[in-house]
Amino acid sequence: MPGGGRCPDCGSAELVEDSHYSQSQLVCSDCGCVVTEGVLTTTFSEESNLREITYSRSTGENEQVSRSQQRGLRRVRDLCRVLQLPGTFEETAITYYQQAYRHSGIRTARLQKKEVLVGCCVLITCRQHNWPLTMGTICTLLYADLDVFSGAYMQIVKLLGLDVPSLCLTDLVKTYCSSFRLFRTSPSVPAKYVEDKDQMLSRTLQLVELASETWLVTGRHPLPVITAATFLAWQSLRPSDRLTCSLARFCKMANVDLPYPAASRLQELVAILLRMAGQLAWLQVLKLDKRSVVKHIGDLLQHRHLLLRMAFQDGSSEMETEKKEQQRQGQGRGEEEVGHSALDLSKGKRPASPALLLPPCMLKPPKRTCPTPPVSTVTGDENISDSEIEQYLRTPQEVRDFQRAQAASQAAQSVPNPP
Amino acid sequence: MKGTRADPMEGAPYLEFYLDRCAAQDDLVPALSPLLSPVVPYDVYMPDPPSPDTISESHLEVKDTSSDFSSVDLSFLPDELTQENRDHIAIKSQHEIEDNGKTQNHQNKLPLPSEQNGEVGLHSSSLSNSYAHLHPGAADSAQPSAEKPTTDALPLVAMTPMTPVTPASECSGIVPQLQNIVSTVNLACKLDLKKIALHAKNAEYNPKRFAAVIMRIREPRTTSLIFSSGKMVCTGAKSEEQSRLAARKYARVVQKLGFPAKFLDFKIQNMVGSCDVRFSIRLEGLVLTHQQFSSYEPELFPGLIYRMVKPRIVLLIFVSGKVVLTGAKERSEIYEAFENIYPILKGFKKA
Repeated sequence: MPGGGRCPDCGSAELVEDSHYSQSQLVCSDCGCVVTEGVLTTTFSEESNLREITYSRSTGENEQVSRSQQRGLRRVRDLCRVLQLPGTFEETAITYYQQAYRHSGIRTARLQKKEVLVGCCVLITCRQHNWPLTMGTICTLLYADLDVFSGAYMQIVKLLGLDVPSLCLTDLVKTYCSSFRLFRTSPSVPAKYVEDKDQMLSRTLQLVELASETWLVTGRHPLPVITAATFLAWQSLRPSDRLTCSLARFCKMANVDLPYPAASRLQELVAILLRMAGQLAWLQVLKLDKRSVVKHIGDLLQHRHLLLRMAFQDGSSEMETEKKEQQRQGQGRGEEEVGHSALDLSKGKRPASPALLLPPCMLKPPKRTCPTPPVSTVTGDENISDSEIEQYLRTPQEVRDFQRAQAASQAAQSVPNPP
Repeated sequence: MKGTRADPMEGAPYLEFYLDRCAAQDDLVPALSPLLSPVVPYDVYMPDPPSPDTISESHLEVKDTSSDFSSVDLSFLPDELTQENRDHIAIKSQHEIEDNGKTQNHQNKLPLPSEQNGEVGLHSSSLSNSYAHLHPGAADSAQPSAEKPTTDALPLVAMTPMTPVTPASECSGIVPQLQNIVSTVNLACKLDLKKIALHAKNAEYNPKRFAAVIMRIREPRTTSLIFSSGKMVCTGAKSEEQSRLAARKYARVVQKLGFPAKFLDFKIQNMVGSCDVRFSIRLEGLVLTHQQFSSYEPELFPGLIYRMVKPRIVLLIFVSGKVVLTGAKERSEIYEAFENIYPILKGFKKA
C-alpha cells in the first residue's frame, strides 16, 4: 500500500496487499518479503461483508477504553433494555458513565461500586426525563445493597454536579398501580375483586394527593404511601365485598410486594379521612370508625379541599385562639412542651375543635425531654489533678491480674476442646 | 416602676430589670448572642435559667450569662427589622452589659427616652399575652415588679421547645446547641498501644478491628482514638474548651503511662450543632427552590441535605423542623449558617 511501511529487507516502499489462502498479507513487490501477515480488521464480522457498524461495537473502542469501563457500559445498555427505556435514555446514561469514569476516584473504586454505578447512571437519566424508577427496583435488578447504592449515588451526583429532579409521584402512581394484577379475573382473583384500572388509578391519585397535602409523604419513602392509597381506593370502589380483605392479602393477590411501612401509612391515611368525615354533617351522625369510613371515601375525596380546610388548622392563628382559651380556663397546665399537646388536652373538652395539620412525627409526644445543658464554665486550661488521672490507671497488682487473666483466656481459646 | 429615686444611678437598675423581664419573654433576645464576633468568650452562649434566689438577691443578676455586647454590630440585621425591635435589641444589649458589668463601669448607661419605653412596653405586652400561660404567676407582665422573679424556667435555648409565636421580626431567636466537637492533637511521640491498653483501665484495643486505642474519660464525657504515631482524636465534647480540656487529660494519662507526650497542634476539626425551628417544613418545596444546594431523597434519607456555600456548612433539615448543622470549624459558622437558613425555612412554613 502506498504511503506506509517500507520493506525491512530491501527498504522498498512498494508494498502490495496480496492474499495467500485468503489471508491478506503485505508483500514487498521487489524482493517478495512478507512484511505483515494478517491485517487488523476494524469489524468483528468477516472483512468480506464490510458492514458499517457503530464505533461502540467496533474494536476501535477497545484501544481507548479499559475493560472494566467497557463492561460497565455494556451493563448500562443491558439495564436500559431490560427496563424498556427509550433509546435516548441509553445514550444519556452512557455519557454519564463515561463522565464518571474520568474521575480517578471512580476508576480506582471497587468492582461492587462500579456495578452499582451502572444503576446510578440509569436512575439519574430516568429522573431527568421524569421516568418513575425507584431505587428499590434498580437495587433488585442489580442484586445490590441499598446502602452501597445510596453511597455511590450521592457521590456521583456530587462529583458530576448534576441536578437530579425529585421522583415524580404522579407518574410513579400510574406505573405502580398498573403493575397490580387486579384488572382481570384469574384463578387467584375472584370477580368481586376485579377492578377497572382507570377508576382505581384516578382514586389512588386523589388519595396520594391528599396524603401529600396532609404531611404523610414528606420525608417518607413514597412507595408504601402509594400501596396504602391503592388499597384504600380499591376497597372503597366496592366496600361491601372488599372490606374483609386485608392489606397483606390484597398485595399477595395483586402479585405486588407489600412494603413494611404500608400498614402504618394506611392507619395514618384512615385517621386523616376520619377527621375529614367529622366535618361532613351527614357523616357525623354515623359515628364512623376506621373500617366504615372506607365506604365514604368517594364523598370525602369529592369535597376534600373544603374538608381539609375545615378539619385542620395549622399555623399560629389556631395556636393563638387555643392559648387564649387556655388562659381563660386557668393556667394550671403549666408549660407544655409542645403547643399542640396542650391542644389535644383541650380537644377532649371540645371535641369539634380542629386538629393540627402536622407531620405525624410532630404529633406524637416526644419520647424524652431534652434537658438544657448546664452552663459550662470550662476554660480548657484548668489544672488537672493527679488523682483524677490516676483513677484511670491500673495499679501494678491489677496489671498482673489482668495479664494473668488474659493469658488464661488465650490458653482456653487455643484449646477449644479440653479433654 | 418603683418610686422615684434621687440617685439616677440607682433608679436605672430597676429600669434595666423591667426591660430585662420584657426581654426575657421575648424570644428575640437570644438572637444577639450567636451573632457576636468571636471576641466573646464561648461559654457565654448558654444562658442559665436564673433561680428565684439570685433574682431576689440582686436584680442586676437576672441573667447569669455574661455577654459582652460592647462591640455589637447590628448591620447584619435584615431591613424588615422594625424600629421598635431594633430599639428593643439595643436596649437589651445595653443592659446586658449592665448585668455583667462587675468590672465595667456604667459608662454604657442606656439613654432611655420615654418613647422607647412605651414602644418596648407595647411590644412586650403583645408578646407577653402569648407567653402568659407559660408564666402562671406573671399575670400582667407588662407591669414591672422588681420583687417578682421572672419565671424564667423559660431558658432561651433552642432545645427546650417553646410555644411558637409569630415572630415580629426576621431574627430567629433560636440558638443552635453544640452537640459534638471533634478535635485532633499531636502527642509527638511514638506510643506502645499494647502497653497503654494494659496499664489504662479506660482503654480498649483490638488491633484486628482498628489500629488505635479507644480511651474514654468521664469528665468531660469524651472518647479518644490514640494512634501509635502519637496522633490523637478527641470526640464527644460539647464545647471547644471541654474538648481542649479532655484532650489534655488524655495526654496526661499517656504521660503518666511513661511516654513523653506533648500537646502540639490542638485543632478543632468539626463541630456539630442542632436546633429546632418549631414549625413543619415542606421539604419538597425547599428542594425545588434551592435545587443547587439541596439534596432530598426520601427513598434514602428522611431529611434534606443542604450544602450551604457561605459558610461552608452542611445542614440536615427534617420535616419536623429540627435542623442539624455540621462541618464547622468555628462556633460562629454554625450560628451564621442557622441565621442564613432560618428565613429560607420560614418561607416554607405554611403548607
